[in-house]
Amino acid sequence: MALLKVKGLTKRFGGLLANNEIDLEVPQGSLFAVIGPNGAGKTTFFSMISGFLNSTSGSIAFDGRDTTRMRQDQIAAMGLIRTFQLVQLFKGMSVAENVEVGCHLATRGGVAAALLRPSWFRRQEAEVHERARELLDFVGLGAQADLDAELLPYGQQRLLEVARALASRPRLLLLDEPAAGLNTQETDGLAHIIEKINRQGTTVLLIEHDVGLVTRIAHRIAVLDFGRKIAEGTPDEIKVHPEVIAAYLGVEEAAYA
Amino acid sequence: MTSLAITSPKPAARLDRFSLGLLGAGALLFAAVLVYGGYLLTVMQLAMIYGIFCLGLNFFMGYTGQASFGQNAFACIGGYGSAILCVQYNWEPALALIASMGVAGIAALVIGYPTLRLRGHYLAMATFALGLITYDISVQWTSLTQGYMGYAGIPPLGIGSLTVEDERLKLLCLGGLLLVGFWISQRLRDSRFGRGLRAISGSENGAAALGIRISRFKLIAFVIAGLYASAAGSLFAHTVGFISPEVFGPQMVIVTFTMLYIGGVGTLIGPVVGAIVASLLPEIFRSTGRFQDIAYALVLLLMLIYAPKGLSALGALFRPRKDKGEA
Amino acid sequence: MPSAVELVQSLVNGVGIGLIYGLVAIGFCVIYNASGIVNFAQGVFVMLGGMFAHTLLTQFGLPIYVSAVLSTILVAGIGVLVQIAIINPMWRRKAPLFAIILATLAIQLLIEQVVILTLGDQPRTYPEFTSGGPLKIGPIAIGYQLFWVLGCGALMVFALTQFFNRTRMGRALRACSQNREAAALLGIPVERMLIVSFALSAALGAAAGILITPTQYTAYSVGGPFGINGFIAAIIGGFGSAPAALVGGIFLGVIQSGAIVFFGAGFKNIVALTVLLIVLLFFPSGLFAGRAKSA
Repeated sequence: MALLKVKGLTKRFGGLLANNEIDLEVPQGSLFAVIGPNGAGKTTFFSMISGFLNSTSGSIAFDGRDTTRMRQDQIAAMGLIRTFQLVQLFKGMSVAENVEVGCHLATRGGVAAALLRPSWFRRQEAEVHERARELLDFVGLGAQADLDAELLPYGQQRLLEVARALASRPRLLLLDEPAAGLNTQETDGLAHIIEKINRQGTTVLLIEHDVGLVTRIAHRIAVLDFGRKIAEGTPDEIKVHPEVIAAYLGVEEAAYA
Repeated sequence: MTSLAITSPKPAARLDRFSLGLLGAGALLFAAVLVYGGYLLTVMQLAMIYGIFCLGLNFFMGYTGQASFGQNAFACIGGYGSAILCVQYNWEPALALIASMGVAGIAALVIGYPTLRLRGHYLAMATFALGLITYDISVQWTSLTQGYMGYAGIPPLGIGSLTVEDERLKLLCLGGLLLVGFWISQRLRDSRFGRGLRAISGSENGAAALGIRISRFKLIAFVIAGLYASAAGSLFAHTVGFISPEVFGPQMVIVTFTMLYIGGVGTLIGPVVGAIVASLLPEIFRSTGRFQDIAYALVLLLMLIYAPKGLSALGALFRPRKDKGEA
Repeated sequence: MPSAVELVQSLVNGVGIGLIYGLVAIGFCVIYNASGIVNFAQGVFVMLGGMFAHTLLTQFGLPIYVSAVLSTILVAGIGVLVQIAIINPMWRRKAPLFAIILATLAIQLLIEQVVILTLGDQPRTYPEFTSGGPLKIGPIAIGYQLFWVLGCGALMVFALTQFFNRTRMGRALRACSQNREAAALLGIPVERMLIVSFALSAALGAAAGILITPTQYTAYSVGGPFGINGFIAAIIGGFGSAPAALVGGIFLGVIQSGAIVFFGAGFKNIVALTVLLIVLLFFPSGLFAGRAKSA
């Protein structure tokens, strides 16, 4: 069954059609990727799915429920967690605290609990600290836990954002160009981590610019160009898809050559 | 730009040594004033009251990263609530304080709900207007507030027949209340709720993506700040025994912001340290009279330009900067 | 219920004071558009304009026109000083928005206290620019000073529009307001433009203060209310063009003087601030939205 089902999703900015009638189904447990050249409408698409942008028309259903008009925090509460292309770290908080914030949805308790600290709350706080450590170890930032998050090098900031998103135990993890700005070595490490996350049972939807990364790890790929979905299939199908090569791969290869 | 990180792995020990030292210095000053007595007792009493106000302000400005230039409105509600209930209706001071806090809390909820949708300059100006409106009402609504005359003869705090009249005892009680306020602030900060607030100040988008309900968290922080401010206003009324509109006028905004900035916005101990330092500093050149306000404004400007992180951030200078090398 | 005459009279008064608010509002917009900063100390320039003009007039015995011009220049100088000594250092350090707002509030307090120390805290005024009057139209009285306000206001808005549209510097300032990074890349000295904007804005405020003082009075404390009302006018006008700000000012002035007729003088600030909250909450880009900028 499809965990995420997008139908006819359209976004119009004034005269610009950023997304045009996009259909997409992300099966439970898959590692799905959306690729496309810059300006193809990938981030717009992502923002609508995660509730940061309202669509002009079309519908989004997550886990069988219509989320088209939901607020971002409501969508997040259903288990759809995103990261950002421009990392959105919590400045003034340590690396570990950043991940602890990520545990928000997986925990409970407000002002009263914080003041009275009943035993369940204390236990939960201890678990949060422990879980933050585990996740930092998982992405390889265990040694940096007490650093100010802002002081991390760029590549590690991205990893931190992934760890933070994982802390809320997402059912669908949306990664917005996680490899942007990373070197080859860092990208390899990231690919490894994403695969591991997926193997542990989390469905992953990935937007990426780096075709190499995507064709290596994704189970299924959709290609956007000028706001339209021009192809969808397995990596092998996509690699030989004539329209994709024409619209995207050819251009990219030429650019990288 | 580096920012202060008063954090350590264990949640129980969030204060570094420098901050503890600052707190210790504050406690020493407190003790010294308690022994020395005289006029300084009043100064220190006010420092405690301002400290409570700033602890609340710090919730909204510091942890949540929002601007409110109108918290004096809630101090005004607290002060007048206490004065009117005690002088006109002979209420118990403690009861009047709590009732006023209730009114202020509801007011913060009702006002904050529409206002907190604003951002940046608009939020700043809307909150500033709030403070000014409250000030104008306290001047104009003479049947309730007695206008410029204000209220005199407000009874001191106490429970039943046990009232706190002695100045030293007053100071001790206020010190105790400040500690309670500080304790609450610390508990809330180092919790799921507090982390949510600080996340909002770091990145609203990031926080929303993790399921934090931004508007609700902001509103709660605003209400908490209002409750603290109201308590401070009431305590002022009961401690000094007299209030007038001027007490809660716009210059209160400047004074409390100076304190918060001196101590360090968003830090745990900043409000307390700032209130004590900023209250005692002018006493050094008290003979200058009129220059006191000028000194305040100058100190604030210098802090804003050259040390926007306040005293608490100076700790970073004394810390081994292992992080710097890795960055 | 007030009579028709009272209402018309209050309308006339409202337009007069509203024009002043409009001028202050334009001052807000000039700085805001160039720098993204809202200078909460804008009202202090109004106060200084009146105070300096009064001092030059009475202490140095200069004629009113000379005093007015000199005072405007002096206040513009203070605006430059504020920018160079305080705003620019903060700007360079990328101080957060709230810190800059707070700094401008502190500047207001600082200047007010210095004025008390040097010029005293007594309210003062000076005669209208043209003696005689008021002009009587039936039972309605219009003071001659209102015509001065109207004339000078129109002249200044015209001059400002010409400056922004016709001169190199004006166009550079407009470029800053559209995109500061791009303007810097084009070689426009952005910091110098900010200085110019502060000078202009201070001069506008000073002119407003000089024009209004004869009909009211000036004292160290008048800056606050003028600043707030000017800001409200700017918000109503949507922080956009100078004419919109001027109309916003007149709108506010009329509402305020109406409030005085209906509720009494004590309520004029409460009404103005309520207007502010209503506009902020329901018309966040001004009453004449369309060309307005969002914050």
